[in-house]
Amino acid sequence: MRSISESLREYARGVAGGLLFSLPLLYTMEVWWAGFTSHPWRLALYVAATFALLLGYNYFLGLRRDSCFSEVVIDSFEEMGLGLLIAFLILWLLGRVSLDQPLSEIAGKTTVEAMTVAIGVSVGTAQLGAEGEDERDKGVGGSRAAAGGHHFGGQLVVALCGAVLFAANIAPTEEVVMIAVEVSAWRLLGLALLSLALGALILYYSEFSGSRRFVRFDARHDVLFGAVITYAVALAASAAILAFFGRFDGQGLAACVAQTIVLGVASTLGASAGRLLLQ
Amino acid sequence: MTKRKDAKRVEKNWLEWAVFGVGLALVAGTLGYLVYDGAAAGDDPPAVEVRLGEPRPTGHNFVVPVAVTNHGDQTAEGVTVEVTLEGAGGAGPERGQLTVAFLPRRATREGWVAFRADPRAGRLTPRVLGYEKP
Repeated sequence: MRSISESLREYARGVAGGLLFSLPLLYTMEVWWAGFTSHPWRLALYVAATFALLLGYNYFLGLRRDSCFSEVVIDSFEEMGLGLLIAFLILWLLGRVSLDQPLSEIAGKTTVEAMTVAIGVSVGTAQLGAEGEDERDKGVGGSRAAAGGHHFGGQLVVALCGAVLFAANIAPTEEVVMIAVEVSAWRLLGLALLSLALGALILYYSEFSGSRRFVRFDARHDVLFGAVITYAVALAASAAILAFFGRFDGQGLAACVAQTIVLGVASTLGASAGRLLLQ
Repeated sequence: MTKRKDAKRVEKNWLEWAVFGVGLALVAGTLGYLVYDGAAAGDDPPAVEVRLGEPRPTGHNFVVPVAVTNHGDQTAEGVTVEVTLEGAGGAGPERGQLTVAFLPRRATREGWVAFRADPRAGRLTPRVLGYEKP
């Protein structure tokens, strides 16, 4: 069992991580608006999807390697609860929620913000300097990932978390739509190639250190494969977040695709960074 | 602290159980409320009501408090309200205008409209001019 001070230190890391990753979102008015313009069921779906993501993240990368799956579930609830509390507190301090507003408005704003905070709390708890521990924990599935070199499911989940964390900060802004409708097709292609190149570059350097530990028969093929997978995850995350923020409502297919690619640069960075963490 | 590799029992101190309890309650409460709210809320378009408060003189003009409430099930964006003042002297009616950026369902936003003539001497009529779908 951990002592109280150890638990407190963990929560402090979580709170720091949560604020670090989500503060831009808490200061963005389009996100507040999404809180009351979205249908409650869309918000509920967002909560469920985020919880599934947290479960996956805690399973593969969470703090406790020496634990069972129920501990992963418990941790996910703790992070989600912290996320809701932090989001409400900051929104209240910013004067964006007050108790004389209808409950639906308070719940909407808090929920939209809290989901990114919760992922940030999870990442912060697991990654922000685990002092006093002999090594960084890799979660329940982490030991398997380390032994096998690369656990595909784990990499997907972590890439998805990173992509969501980065893309959520940009997706709700008007700028994505503006860029998407104004940019030329060639520049759009350029953005897609840039994303792929970034993914390959980051992956190459992370795989490089890995390939010295584990014998790989074809590293170049692996990097190409990995970059394509990373970009696919990033595009899927982009599209999902844009759809959640209602950016696809009433838009043509071309505008939707363009927005996804524009946002894809950010989510590719996030997805690559996420995969780096697993190495 | 020693770590056990195959600990199957969940070991937590009271603080962690407390945080878990609060977290569970918050998540369950939020999800439950959202699902209930989604089921209970209809699909009615915004229905905007305007209420006027007591006029009050300031140093150089008169202001009238305005409360705008949305009784519908959808958010209204850019709600424009016009208040007309008649019979307070001067040539013809005097108009004041107010715009609310966002009016969520069931929410109330407050503001003021200003007049040169004293509204207490005349008759005030509020009117909603229009609003957009966000």
